Amino acid sequence: MNLEAVTVSEEMLPPVLRTPPVLDGPVSPGSLDDQVLAPVERRPPRAWFIAFACTSTVMLMGLILMGYTVATGIGVWGNNIPVAWAFAIINFVFWIGIGHAGTLISAILLLFRARWRNAVSRFAEAMTIFAVMVAGIFPVLHVGRPWLAFWLFPYPNQRAIWPNFRSPLMWDVFAVSTYFSVSLLFWYLGLMPDFASLRDRTKSRVRKFFYAVLAVGWRGSASHWRHFERAYLIIAGIATGLVLSVHSVVSFDFAVSLVPGWHMTIFPPYFVTGAIFAGFAMVVMAMVVVRTTMNLKNIITMYHLDVMNKIILTCSCLMGYAYLMEGWTAWYSMNQYVHHTFWAYIAGTYGWAGWLTITCNIVIPQLFWVRRLRRSYPAMLFVAVAVTVGMWFERFVIIVSSLHHDFMPSAWQVYKPTLVDLGILAGSFGLFFTLVLLFARVLPVIATSEMKVVLPGGQPRRDGGSHE
Amino acid sequence: MSNRTFSVLGLFDSSQQLMDAIPVVKARVSGRLEAYTPYPIHGIEEALGLRKSPVGGMVFIMGLIGAISALAFELWTEGVDYPVVTAGKPLFSWEAFIPIMFEVTVLFACFTSGLGMLFLLNRLPFFRHPMLRSRSMPLITRDKFALAVESEGQVLDVDRITAALREAGAQTIEVIDQPEALGPVSPRFLLRAAVGIGMACLVTGYLTYWCMKLFPVSVPMVHMLDQPRLDPQRRDSYFKDGFGMRMPVAGTVARGHIPYTIKTEDEAAVLANPLPRTGSVLSKGRQEFTTYCSVCHGILGNGVSTLTPAYGAKPANLVADKVREYPDGRIYHVIMMGKNAMPSYAAELTGDERWAVVHYVRVLQRALNARDTDIPKEIPR
Repeated sequence: MNLEAVTVSEEMLPPVLRTPPVLDGPVSPGSLDDQVLAPVERRPPRAWFIAFACTSTVMLMGLILMGYTVATGIGVWGNNIPVAWAFAIINFVFWIGIGHAGTLISAILLLFRARWRNAVSRFAEAMTIFAVMVAGIFPVLHVGRPWLAFWLFPYPNQRAIWPNFRSPLMWDVFAVSTYFSVSLLFWYLGLMPDFASLRDRTKSRVRKFFYAVLAVGWRGSASHWRHFERAYLIIAGIATGLVLSVHSVVSFDFAVSLVPGWHMTIFPPYFVTGAIFAGFAMVVMAMVVVRTTMNLKNIITMYHLDVMNKIILTCSCLMGYAYLMEGWTAWYSMNQYVHHTFWAYIAGTYGWAGWLTITCNIVIPQLFWVRRLRRSYPAMLFVAVAVTVGMWFERFVIIVSSLHHDFMPSAWQVYKPTLVDLGILAGSFGLFFTLVLLFARVLPVIATSEMKVVLPGGQPRRDGGSHE
Repeated sequence: MSNRTFSVLGLFDSSQQLMDAIPVVKARVSGRLEAYTPYPIHGIEEALGLRKSPVGGMVFIMGLIGAISALAFELWTEGVDYPVVTAGKPLFSWEAFIPIMFEVTVLFACFTSGLGMLFLLNRLPFFRHPMLRSRSMPLITRDKFALAVESEGQVLDVDRITAALREAGAQTIEVIDQPEALGPVSPRFLLRAAVGIGMACLVTGYLTYWCMKLFPVSVPMVHMLDQPRLDPQRRDSYFKDGFGMRMPVAGTVARGHIPYTIKTEDEAAVLANPLPRTGSVLSKGRQEFTTYCSVCHGILGNGVSTLTPAYGAKPANLVADKVREYPDGRIYHVIMMGKNAMPSYAAELTGDERWAVVHYVRVLQRALNARDTDIPKEIPR
């Protein structure tokens, strides 16, 4: 390939066109290891224990309420007919969506060679795994008899029946379980070289054994790396299709049904965008906390947060387009039921939720047009929290507002969540953040082997003459 | 000594030094060259003369197998083994099978890529590799770059290789020995293994028993197996009066029920037969008459019953003058309420069926009391 011969070097470009530095200050491979891997070997600070106590208490409350639900039956929830989906499915779609940012960062941005992704990919992938784990709880609880949830999988059984593969709910089972296993595999492959680093630097025998097993004898030989890089890139390529398919399939649960307000072709791209939107908000929130508390400001820089905030802004504009498009589709349908459902979104019983969604998702993120706000902690935390709230309520509007007015006015019901519903929602956040906190202390929060690739001087010069 | 040498390895500070060293060492010594780096170095495969990774081909083949097997499985289960029509779709509705086919393809492809790379191509896990015990390993996983000449069975010329590595700029040289051969299995190890396997069997055995036998019959798993209900005709303490069944709410009428308020046969005279005398009504009447009435009143309605004389009661002769003079409503009332030994047939016959029977009784009366004038003058030939 002679392309390299005409490549313009960075120094020849005017400053505005140069690739922005992904690091703040000098970082060497060795200092990176000390900075990222050392916290794993230390005793966590007091603040960590306080945070852990809070999140695990909330988690425990959620788990107890889940146990109460299972033991008593889902009658303890506010669900009614016609609002049979309610909180369980809202939370499922919400948490699955949170997971999407991780795969986007780790897979799609890897394909785009976005160098800044290397610093945040590990954390975002971990959030993906935890979010999908949390999400998976809800459909299982929602089936009412969770101990029979395995009936969803096609296995030869005494009853000689097979699941209905034409049902979007069945597609969902396959999409979410594939998504989880592939994300876990991808995460583990990325972690493996880091496990090797931890194995070689830790003094404790127990830790050494633990990390040695996880590193499966990784020794960093060039012949291994060549297979590793190829496999990693291929998984990233396939995971790109996967991440787009997962939330599309989730949206099929709605779009393939005949409920007014759900039966729309815009749903798959609309859901995928919303998922990435909410996911990035969560990543930004976590990154602000991680870079300040774990002293990683030179690796996760303001530039990273700036870029992620730009993605949030982009997604916000796309969401605005999707909302307008929904209204347009409703009007263009000339169908009184669709008209009614759409008006119910903004002027019905749950009209307040509709306006809250629009405010949080469309109006507030517009602050990010200002560079100074994209780089200010209070502003980005405010927007990230707003987006998280907004995206949760968007699913609330889609599910509860569409369902509570059925085709027959005699079937209309107002839905009200019970305390158990709210407790389990809070518990899901507790579970998620407990897992995140544990992760931050047990595993390296930054992919060191991936970061070392993009450090200055990490790669040999292209004109180095080392290979013809 | 030297025939037990696995490799001679030199450490470098940067990827650039490593890349510069490779051609220098390659020219000086023969033997397998291998580099150890903390992260992938671009262009090192070509420099070391490594072949391109075959992961792509493996992934393509396994992805294809995933796609075909998922589609075939879905078509077989939904179209052949368990053919149930859902949502009015054809049995072989392949369009609806695409999402799952896609997911299974992704699953097969990704796991082939990840696990195939680890287990097949890289031959991991490999915990006894001599490199893992070297002094250089912790440096390599941190920030150093190693170039090694490795033995593939042949005896390495340690001095010559060391000189070549030094010349190429290596700061540190390490000679790594072959690992000790594994000794024979000790009885102590065998005992431990046996105890371990035994324990595992016990635990799995009990867990299986628990899952299959105990878990399904515990609370709340049994909640839906035992459902309290009120049975008709049974005493139940749920309601105060002790009956399981309920009386209809005052003033309500059951669907399809028409109240019948006539008390006596004379009052019934006002009822008029609402049905026309058509062929289908009469044949309906004949069917119901034959089914319910003919047993006692005889197939001709003349009171010659098929009952045994021991029964005692004498069924009415429906074609006698007395009954011929009854208005339609009176016959209807008798069917409705019964007469003498005859019970009510209200439950057996619907309103329309009763009126049809009345029509048919009139037919029998006319047929058995025919006049000469009823015979047509012209007998059709």
